[in-house]
Amino acid sequence: MLDKKHVPHLLMVFPFLALFAVFFLYPIVSGFVYSFYDWNATTTSRFVGLANYQRVIHSRDFSKAMWNLGSYIVITVPVGIAVAFCLALLVESFKGFWQNFFRSIFFMPVVLPMFLAATIWRWIYTPNIGLLNTIRGLFGLPSVQFLNDTSTMLYSLIAVDIWVSAGFNMVIILAGMKNIPRHYYEAARLDGASKLQEILYITIPMLYPVLFFVTTYGVISALQVFDTPWLLTGSSFSQYGGRQNALLFPVMDMMGRGFGELKFGQAAAYGFILTTVIVSVTAVMFALRKKGHQP
Amino acid sequence: MTTDVGLIRSAAPNYALDLSIWTVLKWTVAICVAIVAVFPIVWMVNVVFAEPGVPVSINPRLLPTSLSAGIAKINTILSETGYLHAYYISITYSLLTIAGVLLFGSMAAFEFALFEFPGKRPMFAIVMLSLMVPTAVTLIPTYLLTANLGWLNTMQGLVVPGLASAFGLFMLIQFMRTIPREMIEAARLDGASHFQIYRHIALPMSRNALVTLAILTFMQTWGNFIWPLIVAPSPQMYTVGQVVGLFNAPFSHVTVDIVMAANLLAALPPLIFFLLFQRKIVEGIAMSGSKG
Amino acid sequence: MISTRYMHACAFALATAATISGARAQEPVTLEYWVYSDFAQGEALKLQQTFIEEFRKTRPNVTINISGKGDDDLTTGQVTGAASGNLPDVFMNGVNVGATLVEAGATKNIYAEFMAMPKEYRDSFDPALIAMCSPKPETMYCLPYTGYGSFMFRNLTVLKDAGVYTAAPIKDWADWLSQMEKVKASGKYAVPDQTQAWQSIVDTYSGVATPEEWGADFETKKTKVNEAKYAQTLQMFVDMQPYTSGTSRNDQATKDLFISNQLAFHLVGPWVNPTYAEAAKTSGLKYDYVLVPGKTEGDYGGIKGYEFIGVAPNKNAQVAFEFAAYVTAKEQMLRWAKRLSRYNASAAAMADPSVASDPLIAITNKAAANAIDGMPPYFKGAYPNCYRSILTDNAQTVADGGITPQDGAKELVEELNECLAGG
Repeated sequence: MLDKKHVPHLLMVFPFLALFAVFFLYPIVSGFVYSFYDWNATTTSRFVGLANYQRVIHSRDFSKAMWNLGSYIVITVPVGIAVAFCLALLVESFKGFWQNFFRSIFFMPVVLPMFLAATIWRWIYTPNIGLLNTIRGLFGLPSVQFLNDTSTMLYSLIAVDIWVSAGFNMVIILAGMKNIPRHYYEAARLDGASKLQEILYITIPMLYPVLFFVTTYGVISALQVFDTPWLLTGSSFSQYGGRQNALLFPVMDMMGRGFGELKFGQAAAYGFILTTVIVSVTAVMFALRKKGHQP
Repeated sequence: MTTDVGLIRSAAPNYALDLSIWTVLKWTVAICVAIVAVFPIVWMVNVVFAEPGVPVSINPRLLPTSLSAGIAKINTILSETGYLHAYYISITYSLLTIAGVLLFGSMAAFEFALFEFPGKRPMFAIVMLSLMVPTAVTLIPTYLLTANLGWLNTMQGLVVPGLASAFGLFMLIQFMRTIPREMIEAARLDGASHFQIYRHIALPMSRNALVTLAILTFMQTWGNFIWPLIVAPSPQMYTVGQVVGLFNAPFSHVTVDIVMAANLLAALPPLIFFLLFQRKIVEGIAMSGSKG
Repeated sequence: MISTRYMHACAFALATAATISGARAQEPVTLEYWVYSDFAQGEALKLQQTFIEEFRKTRPNVTINISGKGDDDLTTGQVTGAASGNLPDVFMNGVNVGATLVEAGATKNIYAEFMAMPKEYRDSFDPALIAMCSPKPETMYCLPYTGYGSFMFRNLTVLKDAGVYTAAPIKDWADWLSQMEKVKASGKYAVPDQTQAWQSIVDTYSGVATPEEWGADFETKKTKVNEAKYAQTLQMFVDMQPYTSGTSRNDQATKDLFISNQLAFHLVGPWVNPTYAEAAKTSGLKYDYVLVPGKTEGDYGGIKGYEFIGVAPNKNAQVAFEFAAYVTAKEQMLRWAKRLSRYNASAAAMADPSVASDPLIAITNKAAANAIDGMPPYFKGAYPNCYRSILTDNAQTVADGGITPQDGAKELVEELNECLAGG
């Protein structure tokens, strides 16, 4: 049955797939099963059909969390990648030591553990005496409650997010730029192309796979955003999401329902609703990519 | 260095006028961005190395002001908590995870990126789908499974469930796709075995991707809080994240200085790790650059 | 002195062991003992270790591993531990999560063990707190341990500069507001934003309401909030809004404002005192503490909360209870209170003259007598998370001028009932 020539391939993928099946696939399937049960993780569970899903969708925080998520992604992904791309161009424009230097510096925030970045940023955003408000004070501007004013909270989160992730995306984009053959640029220059034209007609198209990877990964991880808003709002399992739930996101709500209220069945249902959203969004992205790539 | 003309390498004479403006501008922007990127970290260091109790509004901690106060705080933390032991746990946890993720991920990615074999497409699809399931869903089932294996409070309990990284696989596949098929065919004609091709062609050629993945995995494991929290609750297995969590508790009566000092200690290994690997990235990129 | 204390301890532990366990095989037992992280640091840890050593003198076959955990992490660990059958044998936690732990099966009914203890031990606790641990007859889920009643720290420098006469007590809310106005006029902040943390909301509401007018009835699934009185509280939030610092009572920034003479009042628990005492020494901070003002003269506000020691329902439960009983006995509670200047659940220890004279313990004691519980009744039903977020959302909307206090209170009661009903 099995062609002998396939054996080495299957042997190579086996360790990964075995671990994957046991520690990812099985928990996912079991989580899916639990999403149909009234389950508090300990005592025996009771089958409730779709009740968990209905509960979640009709709950008061669900639409708020989804709305927040939508607004967040629409801003943070494109802006984040634009920033990373510009940083990559900037770094690329230096040579030798300085290129290395700026790349390291720009990358630095990436290596900070998230809990640390959040602690620092909470201080920077502090009303009256925080760093940002001290600077505003120098210009005679009033103090802003960055993390406690519903009109600024989302942007405050996005700023931290980009601060943390731009360096990482920049390194990936840079690696991609290094792989673009030099002669493309040389040819373009012989044709009298401007700097901007080079970027538009060589750099961006040649970076297409890298940018696609960065965007896809950005979207998928943004859809699962959890620790940054959780820490910035000083959330705990009994209260989370910040003022008026302005920084409430689905995974936060999911964790709160699970560990705060012991509704693990509902949390699982929430997770699969979110999974459906993530799968749909990714599918659309891949479809668009295929369309864009038809030669 | 200021004569460096940056992107416009073989500067045509008619560009000459723009050059100085462009140079000034790019330096200004680069330095501003550098300040934004680094200042929060520097500020944290200043908070630690400042006399405790002086409010931020009086001493804004723009510069470190007291070396001895900082050392005293760090001493307090090292003596009152098992911080050094937590370093050992966290570093072991991270290194083992990196080794596993790189090994298993690259082996699988090599196949998925470059060869056809039965079941490839459905397997790949399932792995990619799993990337879209929030980890919060699988947390409890994975925990129960690990507990049933008797792996609570063990290193394998921390490490093994995280080894099959769907993200790592995805990333490595993206990079390995660019390996020219001709090289593999040529190696095969030279009599190289399948494993030798993986070992001597695929791995060296995806070095940049592997380093990037290593860094990312390190950051993920180092910053991972919830998994160690539930799977290794015993103090003998506390990771750095958990020890820092002790200081970050909201009703804790320790002062912000001590909290920052605990945080700073947690940030040191990643920073060192990064500085070490920064070289590797540079070499890797230089290598691929010279080829292009 | 030390030897008498030690004899006390031994005698007590022996009595405990004799009354409940009787003869028992001396097979080795290891207890996992989980405490709040700040109980596993510094002075508190030393004292905990002393208790463990003393207990081990009478039960040498017992090993006790103490682990500190952050607040949320205690509960997370216990919930997952309950799921996999790896519970900590003895643990501390807050009464607010008591019902959750009962539901998860992480805490044992210790009624029988408790009743088997000598009367002297049982009577050493504040009876109201024994009632708090006992949601039903013959059911007891905890030994009350430490706790707090909130009170108000006053920055005397700020108040003096604002021309407030601090020697006279604050009469009522109107008086309090007039002081805030003066503070604001002098360019400083008067209070933290009392609408940001649900504890601060209860803290203020308590100044007009009685304990019967707070909490939830889990049989009828209705909140016990008094709408008219809650509207008055919301009005107070509206009145205070111009004077707030914009930081919550739990923010590090609030302490910082207070220490740097930018903030007049800080309503919070006794755990903040070590920070302020340190600042008094190093930067000359002048402060005192008073009870939270109530709406009318003679009434006081304030919220109280307790931590307890519980025992897991597993094979070591008996020994675990003995250890818990040892730690919560009067002698140990007295040493605990003295060493850390912290109020606790042992009425007998609190009545001891050496403790009662401690000003911080005295005020906490008084504050607790006037305060109302955070999320009562405990160990009965778990409050859904929406309950707390409704409280803060509502107060913030009203304080921002979104709706009137009357409408706000009406809406609050409706929303809370909806939330309790499982919306």
